[in-house]
Amino acid sequence: MSEPRAHIVDDDEAIRDAISWLFRSRGVANSTWPSAEAFLDSYRPDLVGCLVLDVRMDGMSGLELFDRLLTRGCVMPVIFLTGHGDVPLAVAALKKGAYDFIEKPFNDNELVNRVLEALAIDAAHRQNLANKASLESRLATLTAREREVMELILAGRLNKLIADELSIAVRTVEVHRARIFEKMRVRSAVELSQLLPPKR
Amino acid sequence: MSAPAAPALPPPSRPPAWLWILPRVALLLSSVAIAVLLWLLHRSEVDEQHQALIGDALWIEQDLRFHLDRHVDLLRSLGLDRVSNQIDAQKYELRARHILGSGEGIVQILFVDASGAVRSTLPVQSAERMVGEALGTSPAPDTFRLAMQLGTPQYSSAYHVVGQDAQFEIHVPLFYGNQFAGAMVGIYSLRTLLAQLVPWWFAERYKLNVVDDNRAVLASKTNVTARDAVDEHTVPFDPPGHGLMLQLLSYGGSTPMLPLLLVATIIALSMAIVWSLRALRRHILGRHEAERALRAEHAFRKAMEDSLVTGMVAVDHEGRVSYVNPAFCRMVGWPEDELTGHAPPLPFWPPEETQRPPGWGGAENSPPPGPGRELRLLRKDGERIDTLVHEAPLIDASGTQTGWLASVLDITARKRAEELARAQQERLQLTSRLVTMGELASTLAHELNQPLAAIASYNAGCLNRLEHDDYDRAEIIEASRKLGTQAQRAGQIIRRIHEFVRRSAPKRAACDLAAVIEDAVGLIEPDARKRQVRFALDLPQPLPRVLADRGMIEQVILNLLRNAIDAMQETAPAQRVAAIGVGREDGTLVVGVADRGCGIGPEVAAKLFAPFFTTKETGMGMGLNICRSIVELHQGQLWFEPREGGGTVFRFSLPLAAP
Repeated sequence: MSEPRAHIVDDDEAIRDAISWLFRSRGVANSTWPSAEAFLDSYRPDLVGCLVLDVRMDGMSGLELFDRLLTRGCVMPVIFLTGHGDVPLAVAALKKGAYDFIEKPFNDNELVNRVLEALAIDAAHRQNLANKASLESRLATLTAREREVMELILAGRLNKLIADELSIAVRTVEVHRARIFEKMRVRSAVELSQLLPPKR
Repeated sequence: MSAPAAPALPPPSRPPAWLWILPRVALLLSSVAIAVLLWLLHRSEVDEQHQALIGDALWIEQDLRFHLDRHVDLLRSLGLDRVSNQIDAQKYELRARHILGSGEGIVQILFVDASGAVRSTLPVQSAERMVGEALGTSPAPDTFRLAMQLGTPQYSSAYHVVGQDAQFEIHVPLFYGNQFAGAMVGIYSLRTLLAQLVPWWFAERYKLNVVDDNRAVLASKTNVTARDAVDEHTVPFDPPGHGLMLQLLSYGGSTPMLPLLLVATIIALSMAIVWSLRALRRHILGRHEAERALRAEHAFRKAMEDSLVTGMVAVDHEGRVSYVNPAFCRMVGWPEDELTGHAPPLPFWPPEETQRPPGWGGAENSPPPGPGRELRLLRKDGERIDTLVHEAPLIDASGTQTGWLASVLDITARKRAEELARAQQERLQLTSRLVTMGELASTLAHELNQPLAAIASYNAGCLNRLEHDDYDRAEIIEASRKLGTQAQRAGQIIRRIHEFVRRSAPKRAACDLAAVIEDAVGLIEPDARKRQVRFALDLPQPLPRVLADRGMIEQVILNLLRNAIDAMQETAPAQRVAAIGVGREDGTLVVGVADRGCGIGPEVAAKLFAPFFTTKETGMGMGLNICRSIVELHQGQLWFEPREGGGTVFRFSLPLAAP
């Protein structure tokens, strides 16, 4: 996985250069792309960070690029740069899930702040994703019986009731319970229920 | 007189009546005088002829008498010689025959003795000479007796004889020794007498008649053919006596040629005078008619001049006004009598105008150039008016130039209207430019945002660095330089917009068409980029300069570029190229703007340049119309043609600036 950075896509070389210079002055790692097509060509799912997209570009526009990225499962927050006439476009983009839009000419470090926020969100998001992935893998280690027992534990049943319901010995329930806690790396039923949101 | 026409003619001159009567009376009187003179002349001539007639009559009477008297002497001498017997009968006969042969009218000589018996007759009496019965015997006894008694020769009465003749006798008594011894009788034939004694020249002039007291003609002689006599004179033919008379008839004879010629000449001259008088009268009447026609014509022309709205001014060589018409007076507000005769400087010349036409106070005599010139004149109230002046030399009847005639047309209103139209055209162009700019505003704002955004970013970045003291000097300088570049870029955009919409009087100057094209492309490029149209510029360097107003030409190019972009909306993006080229052609530069659109159909082509015709939903329909008027204002042409391979090329030409 590559390092998180701000990806600047703008067809105006001066803008790219200026934003890049601004980001660097705040220590924001960034890379620049001269067109939507160029970015798409080099896009890989493991690119992380955020996107700064110009709405208007020769060739593919920023919004189009955004659509394309969504279909390809890109989750990086996107900040649009718009001219003052492009606000309706930007609003539409927001509805589709863009992170924010900034009207040109933008206010000094406001853009940087936004980018930093976006980067943090991306990081959090990635963390979240990582957590989810480890939970899944822990759940995967459970046996079928242990899964049944865990469902009942999460439903708040006591061991005795679980043993009755499953027609097994209380002792066996206790063993299962210990094994579940161990495999899910929790110490109590409360922790377990926090880890796994109740099913609808 | 150099004036083209006097304001008024003198009153019509009718010749006085006496002028006509006098020559007639004079002619009549002179005719009468001449007639009287001729009559008098004739009279005197007739008198003269009459006198001559009388003279001639007397002369012939004398002549005849002389001959008869001589015969008396001869007869007496012969008779006496016979009576005295001094001669014998033979000698007597010889002498008698001599007398008879003298041919002087005596036809028979008789000797009668004292008893009255005829003793000798020479020649012997012939039958033809027989005395008429009625008139008694011959010789006449009474005459014989009278001669015997008186002792003097006696003539008998004339008597007719056979052969249309008349005879008379002379009895010459003879006395021998105081004794009557007989008488010699000579018998005269009147006819022979006249034939032999009247000279030929006399007979040429007159007719001589011998008449008795009954006016019966006994004998006559003339060579003149018979006609009515004009004059006559009768003298008694006395020696033969007894009532015989000589009647002289004149036939006028040959009238003298000179008076006739004179009369003929006088008559001819009189007729010539009459004829010339008539001709003169006809001529004068003709002149009268001509004068009347001239007067009518003059009145007509005057009315024409007065009704003209064109001012007319005539000046002589010194620049003195010799004529103005009412229209000109109205035009400049000066009354006619103040202008006519006015010497330069003329009052309607504005003091600030120094360029004066040749006739109008200018010195040179060269003909005015061109078909007309615009001049500014000064009204009396101080207002200036614009006029169009046409001048022509004023030529008099002998063909010499006496000055100048100028027709003056007030074009102030027209000039104002032109001014207004030009101002409106300018406003329209400016409006069109503003509209164009308005349509481009959104893209231009975006275009302007780009450098501004970059500037803000560079600036913020620099500040960030500077605030945290972790900057690299070279980095800051580099960023600042880039910032400056972007500021220039923004400035360039602003400049283009400003130059495009700047309201300024059209000013044609030599300008670089390539720069104009680049500016226009620069203005429209953001819009084109948004609509995925690329430009292909073909600007050969160096381009000759053209004489043009930069803003106007930029407007034309911009309009054509926008049309090209609009035309290619349905074209595949890869094909969307607007090509701009410049080429030289016959002293002009031709700019071509080519698109790859769908072309122009014939229906659209017909109306393409009409105002308010548009194929665009939001178009005003003035773009191409304005383009064309701008190009034509620059003496160029704007046209279009299909482009090879699809699309349209718009071209316009501009004249090259003088090198």
